[in-house]
Parts: sequence; C-alpha cells; structure tokens
Amino acid sequence: MADASIEFKGTSFTLSVLHLNTARLVDIRTYLVTKVAQAPDFFHLVPIVVNIEKIDYSIDYQAVKTLIEEFNFTFVAFTGDVDKEQRALIREQGFSFVNTTKKDTSKKVAIAQETLVTEAKAVATTTESHLYTDKVHHGQIRSGQQIYAKEQNLVIIGSVSAGAEVIADGNIHVYGSLRGRAIAGAKGHHKAQIYCQKLEAELVSINGNYWLSESMEQHWGSPAYIHLTDSELTSSILI
Amino acid sequence: MARIIVVTSGKGGVGKTTSSAAIGLGLALKGHKVVLIDFDIGLRNLDLIMGCERRVVYDFVNVINGESTLNQALIKDKRVSSLSILPASQTRDKDALTKENVGKVLEELGGLYDFIVCDSPAGIEAGAMMALYYADEAIVTTNPEVSSVRDSDRILGMLASRSRRAELGLEPIKEHLLLTRYSPKRVEEGEMLSVDDVKDILSIPLLGVIPESQAVLKASNAGEPVILDTESDAGKAYQDVVDRLLGETIEFRFLVAEKKGIFSRMFGG
Repeated sequence: MADASIEFKGTSFTLSVLHLNTARLVDIRTYLVTKVAQAPDFFHLVPIVVNIEKIDYSIDYQAVKTLIEEFNFTFVAFTGDVDKEQRALIREQGFSFVNTTKKDTSKKVAIAQETLVTEAKAVATTTESHLYTDKVHHGQIRSGQQIYAKEQNLVIIGSVSAGAEVIADGNIHVYGSLRGRAIAGAKGHHKAQIYCQKLEAELVSINGNYWLSESMEQHWGSPAYIHLTDSELTSSILI
Repeated sequence: MARIIVVTSGKGGVGKTTSSAAIGLGLALKGHKVVLIDFDIGLRNLDLIMGCERRVVYDFVNVINGESTLNQALIKDKRVSSLSILPASQTRDKDALTKENVGKVLEELGGLYDFIVCDSPAGIEAGAMMALYYADEAIVTTNPEVSSVRDSDRILGMLASRSRRAELGLEPIKEHLLLTRYSPKRVEEGEMLSVDDVKDILSIPLLGVIPESQAVLKASNAGEPVILDTESDAGKAYQDVVDRLLGETIEFRFLVAEKKGIFSRMFGG
C-alpha cells in the first residue's frame, strides 16, 4: 500500500443522456432553452452524454458540444448504437465515445477525458441492459398452469392455452399460439419483448405496461411481437 | 396388466358417464375383460346408465374399507359376461378414497381384467385427481363449446403433472380427445366450435366425435348404453371409438350435416 499516489478503480455513475432526434442545431437549441428554463439549477454543470444514434453522418460534433456547454452542461461523451466508421470519426475529432452495444458487455464503460478534470475516471451506466439465459419449455402450457423464468428469457415450444400464464424477467418466445397471459420484463426491463407465432393473448405485459386482447386487433391471429416504444406497447408483424 | 383408462373432462354434464358406459360395454362386446369403476363417490350414476342400479349391494368404498371383498362388490353385466361394474357409494363422500387404497384395488383388478375404465367425477378436486392418478390413458371428453374446452385443457395440465406417471417420470399418459354432443349443422351456422377448432386448441389426437343424438337420452333412461343402439349415429360413433382404442384406423363420420329428406325430418334420425 506504500506506492499509492494514484489508484484506478471502477465506479458506476448515473449520467443524464441527451437523445438527439435531429442534427439541426437550431432545433436542439430551442429544445434546450425550454428544458433548461424549467429547472435551471437542476441542469447546472450536470455531466451529460449525447446519444446520436438517430442521426446520420451530417452532424457537426464540435458544434453540438459547444452548444451543450453554452447551456452550462458538462459535456462527457457521445454515445449511441452507431457503426465503427462513425465511432472512429468521433474519436478522431478528439471526442470520447461511450459504447452502448449490448453484445460485448452488460455495463458501459466511459472514460471522460476532457471536462471532468476532477475525476480520473468515470464509469457510466447509460442504458439498462440484460444478458439472460433461456429457459426452454417443450410442450403446451395448459389452462391453469403458470411458468416463471426468473432472471431468464422464456422459450416455449408449443402453445400457451387460454387461462395459462407465462412470466419472464427477460423476453418471451412462443413457438405456437399465445392465447393466455404473457408477462415479459417482469422485474422491470424496458426492452423486453414478447414474440409469438399466433397472437391471441388474453393479456400481454412488458415492464408493467399491459394490453388486453382488444388492444391487439391489428395483428390478431398473426405472427407478431410486442415491444415498448416510449412506454407505449406496440405490436409488429413478425414475418 | 390391464390398460387403465380414465374418462375425464373437468366440466360436468359433457358425457363422461355415457361415454364410459358405451366404451366399456363396447370393449367387452369385442371379447375383452372389462371392469367399469365409478369414481363419482356420492353422486353414483354409472350403475343407472348401465341399468344395474337395483343390483348394488356393496360398493367401491366398502371394498376400500375392507367391509366387503372385491368379488362381492363387482356386479356382472347381464348382457355381456366379460363386463363388471364397480359402483360408487351414494352415502359417502370423495374423501373415502386415498391413493394407497385405490392403488391396491386397481392392482387387484389389473390381474383379472384387460381394461379398467375409470369414470371420473367432474371438477379438479381430490375425486377427479384420484380417478386419473393411476391412468395409463385418458379419454378427455369435451363438448364443442369454449368453457368445456377450457376445462379440458385444465385437466390435460393435471394429467401431465399430477398423475402417477408424471410423478414417477414415466412415459406420460396417452391422451385422447373425445368430442361429444357434436352438431355439424350448428358448426356450419357458426354457433358451435368445429372439430378443427377444438383440435387446434387442445392439440391432442382425436379419438372420436359423437354426434348430438336423441338416442343418448333415451338410452340413459333405459339403462342401456347407447352403443347397443346400433341404428343410431351416436351408437355407431361409439363403436368407431372402441375400434380405434383397439388400434384400428377408422375414418371419422358424422362430421358434416346431412341434407335430410322430408321423412327423416318427420321421424327423426
């Protein structure tokens, strides 16, 4: 313990992420003006990560950073699910990039180089992410039966009968008809999804948001999956 | 060892006892040694359908309690000598049966008969569980309507999880779907679930489709299992069921509505 003038330690921080839906600086500025006006003190010097995954290459990174700092945020890094080239481009211009791809790690590590001078290192968890193993059930889930995949995804090779209930902390896949209840992301997992070959469910729920069968009219009887977009359930056709 | 077949459904009034009687008698008519057991303790019905209610001296519960021997309680059918009936008790309740003592009776019967047909009570409580516990095969009797299908689904879940075979991890109970009170005309009019609808929901092999028929009620009241009414559609359909249970491949009939002429309209089919 003698030679400890510095130490590297991993620590998790909760950072605010600003999601950009446009590259137009004027629009971003308008948004920030209203947002900051609502709670000026709250945003003062708040470290911020900027998510740019919805925007293409035509973005002026330096301008975005300058704009953010103009509103007294402390710029940390860019983030988002973007391809290698764009990531390299960002780094070339001297900005930090925080990885959010789910494949390699469940925690996102960010090293803030520029403005966070007081911190030698920052570890940021920017989005929730879950790496679950699968619980596989062969055969039909009959009325009155209940299956719970604790901290797992649930895969059912067979149908889920009306009056049956399938619950998972992760995703639910039904290779058959889904006629009963399906509850995915049971412990609070926003990105959980429910897939089935025939959607005829009594109830579907993701992260506490639920639909009764009347809400599933659009893809009733079709192969479909249910997911959350901005805390609204959405169904999409599977094939 | 005998094949132990439970006739079950979950829902009441769908035709379990009618089917048990018809199938049991049908198997016996084919020369097999058959015993029919009424598991509906307290709501004894099978003896009525079989027309032997006046010959009941001892019953299933007496045998279980050691108050009579099995031979004293078994009633030999007057029509077919290879068929016996073990009636339920009308005065006791279902708690009289335990897994252990039912197992003993079934074991003893297993050495004497080729088929043991267990007529299950409705519901999913102890009585129904007892009837299905030792089964090798199950005939899931279902009417083509949603509540009956739902209850059958529930029973199928029980067969797969609560039976002896499930508990010991043996080969699962062989499941058969028996659709009763089927009316092709009402299916065509969209008032009734079709065979395919029910098969799709329950996804188990179809053993038979018994058409809705006046002959069934008549047979029940007369104490003559409907399979003896060889002229009726229901009687013929039960005969097909028996043949299929014995391994034959027989095409399903009575699945489409017949265009009836004026005479059959007047005198019934």
